[in-house]
Amino acid sequence: MTNEAVSSVVVTHRFDAAPERVFDAFLDVAIARRFLFATAKGEMIAAEIDPRVGGRYTFTDRRPDMGDVLHTGEYLEIDRPRRLVFTFGVPQFAPGYTTVTIDIRPDGEGCVLTLTNDDVPAAHADGNRDGWTRILTGLLPAYEDVQAAGWL
Amino acid sequence: MDEYGPLDDVLTALADPTRRAILARLAASDARVTDVAAPFSISLNSVSKHIRILERADLVRRRKQGREHMLALNPAPLDAASDWLDQQRALWAWRLDELDKILKEPAS
Repeated sequence: MTNEAVSSVVVTHRFDAAPERVFDAFLDVAIARRFLFATAKGEMIAAEIDPRVGGRYTFTDRRPDMGDVLHTGEYLEIDRPRRLVFTFGVPQFAPGYTTVTIDIRPDGEGCVLTLTNDDVPAAHADGNRDGWTRILTGLLPAYEDVQAAGWL
Repeated sequence: MDEYGPLDDVLTALADPTRRAILARLAASDARVTDVAAPFSISLNSVSKHIRILERADLVRRRKQGREHMLALNPAPLDAASDWLDQQRALWAWRLDELDKILKEPAS
């Protein structure tokens, strides 16, 4: 099945800032730690970024309800200021990685950013068939099957 | 908001095309186990295993009707799974809003 599009989470946002400034915010640890894997109630207690293809990042968000939550992944593409792709996993919650793609295009004085969080490329699949990515791939098609069957 | 909700059983259940087909069948109407199994080329035993996984996720409920086991779709966990994706979307949107605020701060 070709499920990629429907299993993705896609969010767009327009910024008044130039593409370069928005792009750099994702790789500048002082800025990134304030938003990238932040949660409303959490406190980012540690963040490290190795901003090169093949480099990794770790962000640890301290949450009142579940303690310290590690977010980690690897940079797959760094094409300033257009495109940034990295894997993203939270080992505490699920094995495997999803992929986050940031696309930025100029829009007047500012830019429009599209963030897509979808499943892992084959190169990063670890053979664990119960991995999160495989699971997510199956999610929305089933929902659509049910809708197509006229239940909803 | 969390990155992952406690929905592993549901998502595991939905990850398999045979199980999705079973759900689609039950979306049309309640059915006996043998009726559900009929269109599949795999064994009844194998279909039963899939049904048990769906029951564990509470996507399918079973009741006895005379000597037959009737299966019914329980859609509530699908809504939960869909909600989970909505939460992910909201979380990323919130993060981009935060970035927007940071970029609008006066340069120090």
